[in-house]
Amino acid sequence: MNDNSQAKHFTGAVMVVGGGIGGTQAALDLAESGFFVYVVESSSAIGGAMAQLDKTFPTNDCSMCILSPKLVECGRHLNIELLTLSEVRQVTGEPGNFMVKLLQKPRYIDTSKCTGCGECARVCPVVCKNEYDMNMSERRAAFRKYAQAVPGAFSIEKRGTSPCKATCPAHISVQGYVALTAQGKYQEALKLIKEENPLPAICGRVCHHPCETACMRGELDDPVAIDSIKRFLADLDLNSETRFVPRIKEKRDEKAAIIGSGPAGLSCAYYLAIEGYQVTVFEKLPVLGGMLSVGIPSYRLPENTIEAEIQVIRDMGVEFKTGVEIGKDFTISQLRAQGYKAFFMGIGAQECKALGIPGEEFEGVVPGVEYLRDINLGKKALLGDRVAVIGGGNVAMDTVRTALRNGSSKPFIVYRRSEKEMPANEEEIQECREEGIEIMTLTNPKRIIGENGRVKAVECLRMELGEPDASGRRRPVAVVGSEFIMEVDAVVPAIGQESDWACLTEECACQLSDWGTMRIDPLTLQTHDPDIFAGGDAVTGPRTVIEAIAAGKQAAISIGRFIRGEDLSAGREKEWQAVQQVPTEGYDRIPRARMPVMSPEIRVGNFEEVQLGFTEEQVRAEAARCLSCGVCSECYQCVEACLAKAVDHEQQPKELEINVGAIILAPGFQPFDPSKYDTYAYSNLPNVVTSMEFERILSALGPTQGRLVRPSDHRQPKKIAWLQCVGSRDSHQYAHEYCSGVCCMAAIKEAVIAKEHSKDELDAAIFFMDMRTYGKDFERYYNRAEQEIGVRFIRCRIHSIVPAAPNSDDLKIEYLDKTGKMRAEVFDLVVLSIGLQVSKQSKALAEIIGIEIDASGFARAGSFSPVASSRPGVFTCGAFRGPTDIPFSVMEASAASAASAALLSESRNSLTREKTYPPEDPSIHAEPRIGFFVCRCGVNIANVVNVPEVRDYARGLPNVDYVADNMFTCSQDTQKLIIEAIKEHRLNRIVVAACTPRTHEPLFQETIREAGLNPYLFEFANIRDQDSWVHQAEPEKATAKAKDLVRMAVAKAALLDPIEKLQVALTQSALVIGGGVAGMNAALNLAAQGFKTFLVEQEEVLGGYALRLAKTWKGEDVRSYVEELKGKVLGNRNIEVLTGAKMLAVKGFVGQFTTTVQVKGENREIQHGVAILATGAHSLEPREYLYGQTERVTLWHELEKLFEDDPKRLDSSEGIAFIQCVGSREPERPYCSKICCTASVQQAIDLKEKKPDLNVYILYRDIRTYGRREALYTKARKLGVFFIRYNADEKPVVEKVTVAGKEKLRIRVRDHILERPVELSVDYLNLATAIIPKGLDELARFFKVPLNQDGFFLEAHTKLRPVDFATDGVFVAGLAHYPKPIDESIAQAQAAASRAASFLAKPYVEVEPIASVVDQDLCIGCGMCEANCAFGAIRLHEAAGKGYRAETVSASCKGCGVCAASCPQKAIDMKHFRDCQIVAAIRAGGCAQ
Amino acid sequence: MNASAFEPKVLAFLCNWCSYAGADMAGVSRFQYPPTIRVLRTMCSGRVDPFYLTEGLKSGFDGVFVFGCHLGDCHYLEGNVYTQKRVKIVENLLDLSKIGRGRVQLRWVSAAEGQLFANYIKELSDELAELGPFEVSKFTLELSALESVLISPRVRWLAGIERQITERGNVYNETMNSVEFDRLLRSVCETEYENALILEVLRTGPQSVREISAKTGLGVYNVSQRLADVEKWGPVELHGYDGVTPKFTRTDA
Repeated sequence: MNDNSQAKHFTGAVMVVGGGIGGTQAALDLAESGFFVYVVESSSAIGGAMAQLDKTFPTNDCSMCILSPKLVECGRHLNIELLTLSEVRQVTGEPGNFMVKLLQKPRYIDTSKCTGCGECARVCPVVCKNEYDMNMSERRAAFRKYAQAVPGAFSIEKRGTSPCKATCPAHISVQGYVALTAQGKYQEALKLIKEENPLPAICGRVCHHPCETACMRGELDDPVAIDSIKRFLADLDLNSETRFVPRIKEKRDEKAAIIGSGPAGLSCAYYLAIEGYQVTVFEKLPVLGGMLSVGIPSYRLPENTIEAEIQVIRDMGVEFKTGVEIGKDFTISQLRAQGYKAFFMGIGAQECKALGIPGEEFEGVVPGVEYLRDINLGKKALLGDRVAVIGGGNVAMDTVRTALRNGSSKPFIVYRRSEKEMPANEEEIQECREEGIEIMTLTNPKRIIGENGRVKAVECLRMELGEPDASGRRRPVAVVGSEFIMEVDAVVPAIGQESDWACLTEECACQLSDWGTMRIDPLTLQTHDPDIFAGGDAVTGPRTVIEAIAAGKQAAISIGRFIRGEDLSAGREKEWQAVQQVPTEGYDRIPRARMPVMSPEIRVGNFEEVQLGFTEEQVRAEAARCLSCGVCSECYQCVEACLAKAVDHEQQPKELEINVGAIILAPGFQPFDPSKYDTYAYSNLPNVVTSMEFERILSALGPTQGRLVRPSDHRQPKKIAWLQCVGSRDSHQYAHEYCSGVCCMAAIKEAVIAKEHSKDELDAAIFFMDMRTYGKDFERYYNRAEQEIGVRFIRCRIHSIVPAAPNSDDLKIEYLDKTGKMRAEVFDLVVLSIGLQVSKQSKALAEIIGIEIDASGFARAGSFSPVASSRPGVFTCGAFRGPTDIPFSVMEASAASAASAALLSESRNSLTREKTYPPEDPSIHAEPRIGFFVCRCGVNIANVVNVPEVRDYARGLPNVDYVADNMFTCSQDTQKLIIEAIKEHRLNRIVVAACTPRTHEPLFQETIREAGLNPYLFEFANIRDQDSWVHQAEPEKATAKAKDLVRMAVAKAALLDPIEKLQVALTQSALVIGGGVAGMNAALNLAAQGFKTFLVEQEEVLGGYALRLAKTWKGEDVRSYVEELKGKVLGNRNIEVLTGAKMLAVKGFVGQFTTTVQVKGENREIQHGVAILATGAHSLEPREYLYGQTERVTLWHELEKLFEDDPKRLDSSEGIAFIQCVGSREPERPYCSKICCTASVQQAIDLKEKKPDLNVYILYRDIRTYGRREALYTKARKLGVFFIRYNADEKPVVEKVTVAGKEKLRIRVRDHILERPVELSVDYLNLATAIIPKGLDELARFFKVPLNQDGFFLEAHTKLRPVDFATDGVFVAGLAHYPKPIDESIAQAQAAASRAASFLAKPYVEVEPIASVVDQDLCIGCGMCEANCAFGAIRLHEAAGKGYRAETVSASCKGCGVCAASCPQKAIDMKHFRDCQIVAAIRAGGCAQ
Repeated sequence: MNASAFEPKVLAFLCNWCSYAGADMAGVSRFQYPPTIRVLRTMCSGRVDPFYLTEGLKSGFDGVFVFGCHLGDCHYLEGNVYTQKRVKIVENLLDLSKIGRGRVQLRWVSAAEGQLFANYIKELSDELAELGPFEVSKFTLELSALESVLISPRVRWLAGIERQITERGNVYNETMNSVEFDRLLRSVCETEYENALILEVLRTGPQSVREISAKTGLGVYNVSQRLADVEKWGPVELHGYDGVTPKFTRTDA
């Protein structure tokens, strides 16, 4: 497959799914090895679960401290593309060439523009639960996942458009103004409303508010009283000293005419005025407002409210002409001649429709709208006492109530359908009733009876409801023979209106529909006359105010475009899809606030406003009821707040397609959810928290800033219990049978840290079944926790958790102790050690990609290819493969990247990029000419620090030749400015005063490199994170501090030297020491990646310890695997195998090692760039339990061998015992050998299966069948293997005895369940002895790498660099690192190969150039530096004629500077942190200015 | 402290990986603290040469803070362990010079501990405020002497060798317990400091033992002893006699 013709088709890119620590590690390894990497992450930032942890075990490292640099590296890597908010949709193709379809959800914030300043979150009114803090704190809808998130850009969470906004005909950002109101930001809320509705005070009184009908809160209790909130905001504005008047964008000369001053016309005028047009409104009546003024009675909508909102429009420069009837006083063509460029017809529908029954001509039949108009215009119009108002709409209600107020004693409603079908607002109907008005439903007038030309009575019919009609309402059908007659004084038809089109004179080309409405283009509202637009009732027939307002705005948009000659319809079609489902759990039922009204007794006698409006408290409470359906409320505060213009609410989901050669799945785990479990009462008791929640409680970044307090009362707990195996090792429904592998250590760590956090003595108790501290240095941690720190460990089974007393927040744990007795203890706080599980999303991912998973959802993998999945070319790592801790996830991630790299080795470097820079001009470095740039960071710095003052101050500092201040110094434009300034002013040092060098120094270094400056001629002054943000109330002092910091930076900058990038030539070959399974796998992977590899083995044959193993824990045959592996190694052209070889000497450092080995008596020198140490380990030969004294006592696999060689021995046996922890977990060897429990349990199962009547005993201390190996333990117990626990201080005693003439072994041991000694008689005893390192110290000396206290190799960092040494270029794999099973050895070997390959992929080693420099004249060769360097990076060498002198091994130097600060002769200096530079900065900072 | 209280100006060394990140975290979280510190970033607190601390005081700062990773968390494995040893020496010397150890403070802050950082700055600034302004002019002599001690090979050697001698053992695998080592270190510091004081005083010209004693505040007998010692290796010789009073001078002055 690897021949070149095909290799061309291989894609040199890899997709990594999941941006946790595993995905990040895999991406970095691959990118460093010459492959382009796409990291696909479903959330807005990488970091995964590790970013949520407080500390990590067993070193108590701060999780964020060690993770964050890796994330930053990943985020900045030129050859890694982060695809956040993305999901895999489809994978097609073959290994080496996959096509992947992805869906990327919008972030709504442009990552390339976002400066991470957080202004958007500051102004965001929407409060959400913070998932990062396990919902224990709150965040905003505009948010950053966590402070150190990569990418650092904020994002906005949207679930979709809220139903209120989607439903509103004008699509006002309803959720937005409600959210702003809840925050008390009334003016902002009003402005937001006015984006879509210029008449909120009017709408707040008369709108039919479909938003409230759609409001999701209604599903829970009552809809939010949105309309009343709007009214409150509008009234507040109208009553304020200065009303909100929108800014006119740009004044224009073009004129537009609006015919009709109803809501449609007013709205159109308002939005045209904003655009700057000269607008005149022509109104036929003497008053403005159309139906608002003459159609709605003033007790509902007072005139002064209408006048106030119109006044705002007048203030914007709109001209109003009343009493001007178009078509009569002026014609359209006359107006055209006067220069009006466009017209809006908003004439409404004010002519009442006739009832169409006999008798309408009688006096006393008054159309409703006419009556209302007369009253509103102040005419006297008396109807008499009994008034029949015909109709069920708002006009009918208004008429009947007006009649009541106008002297009629008995006005009433006649409506032909039922009340349910009445189109009038519910509250109007309600208020009618309150005022004693009768509503006759299912009644229809048949004829009006007159006397002397005047109405006397009306004959009506009873109706019933039939089939639904076109409007969806049930059609009323007359009941035959139900006629009856009512005496009345007046009949008022209020059944609908139509328009009077007298304004349309001949020259108009507009067309009317059969209904008498104007025909228009529904999108643009354009009529058949291109310059005439129409909207509102004139187009729709009588409808609602808000629809008219919406039409007015749309017409304004069209008219603006028409006048400017633009396309009228481009980009205007928008579909509004409301959010369908909103979670309502966790909300209390709170009834809707009641509108205060004037009492009916008082109000019926006058036209005073009935509804009095909400109080501020009511409004705030009501707004707080909003469920934030859309999450983001689209209030657009962030758009305004973001000075970088990064917010874009219009972003849409994107479909992406990427081409990759391999895929690595690292989706991680999901914490087990204990809420389904009654036993732990997690859902009911606030002080029962999960371990993940507890991590957040402990974290300094968490909801309590690291203060250890319990949720119920925020008091510091004095007693905390941890309950282990919650959801793990449990056969209940929802739970998992496997062991989650990490919880024991996590709980101990949490207990230890909690005790550290507590000011007062904390009692920490861990309730457990078996303590599984099987990893490297875990047992020691466990011992320390128990013996030194005083954590209590209680071996038990939990029965239940209940409140300690009624109404108490304390918790009583009831449990069965190790002897089976029921006990109880009270705690303040209980932490559930929840296990790990595969998420639904990960299972779905497996399905999409087509890889097999097991019943628990873990990816299936064989022991011999641990990171391969069932689909070739797709690899898996981390908790998706089974419960794992961080180091193992990291190891597997590297292994997966090694496997990918091996597959794609021919395409290495085919897609990666390398940036080139202009050459540096050496002459420029002479005299310092400093350029200084100070950043305002929007308002983040400038609001506190006086930026211009700092800029001017810097101008006066020595060597400063150029100063500038910028809105955002990090923006793309400013980078260009910096480059230009460097060139124009011949600057050779740059100082930036801005946020922090930790995030932005690399950016500026990059910029100055592009201008031909060495990147180290740059200095940063941190005036944001460490100045403006922390001294917000002291602007003057903050400014003074900024000046000091700038002075220090400038002083240092003047002395900066260019530092050359350091590259050390590298021999592109590897040496692997140890020819066991780990060594062979490492060698094979490196060879497959195309690197020459030497494999050195001291024995004559390859295979190592695995030669003695029969099966893996999964049952795979080890021997045939080892044979196959040997064959592959020996047959590989890239591998040179040296068996029977002895290591003699190692010289050199990363890139240039020379190793001397003795092979068959001859010395051989090997040149290699990197080395992998995989020399394995041995099993202890004990002196106890009669080992060596009888062949009946065996070790490890000896028993298997014995029975294999002589099966009769098994046949004649009656009992066989295993003793665990022989030599392990002892004071002289305080570590767990990790693999022995699994090995013995597995052998026990084999024996039981071969001979079911055999008595098999396992004598153990804790059964540590961690992870999915738990299945073996379960099986063994089912098969009847006896498990007997013993204590370390009461070890079993073994004797040889003769029973019935047969030699037997008698074992006496104290049974801890029965609490008494038992005696076992067995034929054989197999000892699971400690795995011990041997002979590693010599190798350690050769490569200058350390051993841990137990004699195993000590890796660079337990958590994040599990296969690296602190010394570059040397790696570790297999049992020499720590005891581990074969699959973990193989994964680790591949991981080591991956890390090695990241060096071998380039012909040189890229070295940190900030290194130490030794002055050879000052050095006296004392060796202090060598002794104090943790990296072997400085050492003594023989200088001719001078004895010894120190020299820096630049390739290894990490740049800490310990040597420089230690050197007795002061002969060592650190580049970029030189004594003279630091002293200059100190002096500059100290001198009083 | 009342509002008009003195606000000290402090030099603060922050290591790049933990404490600088912690200080940034304080900013990101908007934890407010008094505007007293002027920060210098080093890659590791282990880079902070002990003489930077006295340089800070000399330059007009009222105090110097050093922040590093928590022990065990050092990005460079154990750079901060060296910092701890060095600050301990500086503290002893500050006591000797009567400047007082309170003017130099070492604290550990992780990248996540923004609140802790802010708290430390508040607390330590308050403590410094209690001490009042540092009057450099009163301690010119002492500060020069301290600097000579801190750049002297003998003290630097001892500072650097401590871990080796107390933890790992010398070439004969002998270790010294740390109490014993501390005693040794203190006595060496004291001797070196007195020597340095005398040498500083002699910069102004030949002086008698009594004159030296008056200027350094060291006892007459002590000065004689130290002079005898320094004469053996250092840049001091008998200049001549003023009457019967011997006067000493610096050979390199």
